[in-house]
Amino acid sequence: MPSLKDIRRRITSVKKTQQITRAMRMVAAAKLRRAQEAIESARPYAERMRETLVEVAASQGAEHPLLATRETVKNVDVVVISSDRGLCGAFNSNVLKRAEQEIAARDRTAERLAIATIGRKASEFFGRRRREQIVRSITTIARIDYAHAQQIAAALAQRFLSGESDEVWLVHSEFISTITQRPRVVKLLPLAPEPSQAATDKPPFTIEPSAEKLLALLVPKALEVEIFRALLDNQAGEHAARMTAMESATRNSEDMISRLTLQYNRARQAAITKELVEIVSGAEAL
Amino acid sequence: MSLELNIVTPEGTRYEGQVEALVVPGAEGDFGVLPGHERFLAAVRIGELQIQDGRHALWAAVSDGFAEVNGDKVVLMVDSCEFAGDIDAARAERARARAEREIEQLRAAHAEATNFLIEERALQRALIRIQVASKPQRPM
Repeated sequence: MPSLKDIRRRITSVKKTQQITRAMRMVAAAKLRRAQEAIESARPYAERMRETLVEVAASQGAEHPLLATRETVKNVDVVVISSDRGLCGAFNSNVLKRAEQEIAARDRTAERLAIATIGRKASEFFGRRRREQIVRSITTIARIDYAHAQQIAAALAQRFLSGESDEVWLVHSEFISTITQRPRVVKLLPLAPEPSQAATDKPPFTIEPSAEKLLALLVPKALEVEIFRALLDNQAGEHAARMTAMESATRNSEDMISRLTLQYNRARQAAITKELVEIVSGAEAL
Repeated sequence: MSLELNIVTPEGTRYEGQVEALVVPGAEGDFGVLPGHERFLAAVRIGELQIQDGRHALWAAVSDGFAEVNGDKVVLMVDSCEFAGDIDAARAERARARAEREIEQLRAAHAEATNFLIEERALQRALIRIQVASKPQRPM
């Protein structure tokens, strides 16, 4: 049986923890709002870009090396995106687990597999286990801007074009809603533009400089957009997951406090009763 | 007759509205768009965008992307687009100084041509921003 003082100390400590989790929840909520806005802002650009890409790729019959599927896939790159910080529930472990599966599956067929990680949790996870396979890590992403996506896209495209990789896969968390984030695996390269349902009965575009040259500019952009989207999703998902985790932590500490308070009151009462009994029996003895 | 202009960047929509005409810095040279333009798709380089909107002229600094003219709809998909009034001239000036310094260092180190590219583009962007910043601002 813990003493009164012990219980009191526990209650104070749980209260302090609760203050922290509550503050973290509020911070995460504010950051989530901003991250969601960033996703919304990126959407029109991404949609426009895809439509244009589909149109140019389809109508002109132009080709681009980043769109070409290779017959034999020997070298595979897997890019994994996670958050930098923990305390966000199963957010990172979900995506890392999925990545692990994907890597295991690809490893059986590929001759050589390389892992690139973005975010500290992913780089720690794979860094410990398969150090030799890390090609490149961007450890800290404090604030995501488009330039990050451009850097990553350029590096991946270069590996693909030089033949160091024949296929590039991306594993990241998809932000579905505040309560749902799902790991998503997507083939980054060779890029396959999804055909749009809109029938193109319009006259073809006059293209300047030429379809071929325009495609050469469009395709790397489409890759950047895909990566940018994944980074934004990851960011929003992290904050959403942290918000949920911290909310339930706050609730749990609430429960704990009430349980401890109950225990404390019982112990206090027991002590009083004991004292009374002692006084009474002391009086009787006289 | 007017054109419906939409300027989108990865960080958000920058302009949405009816305009009379615009001059776009195309990769192959500047081109003007007026209502009734043919269906046209072009690459856009780092440069100065001019929009004729009623009685006013607006200027913006844009960087690489694409312009799509489709009937009376014009869509600009660019990496960035900053209007004259939104540009921080001091920051652009600092960016220019930094890019120039970097290029100087690369030159001193006899770096390869590809290394210059990034800095040269940064310099180009800074110069355009400085140029656009001195233009009349967007009337509010």
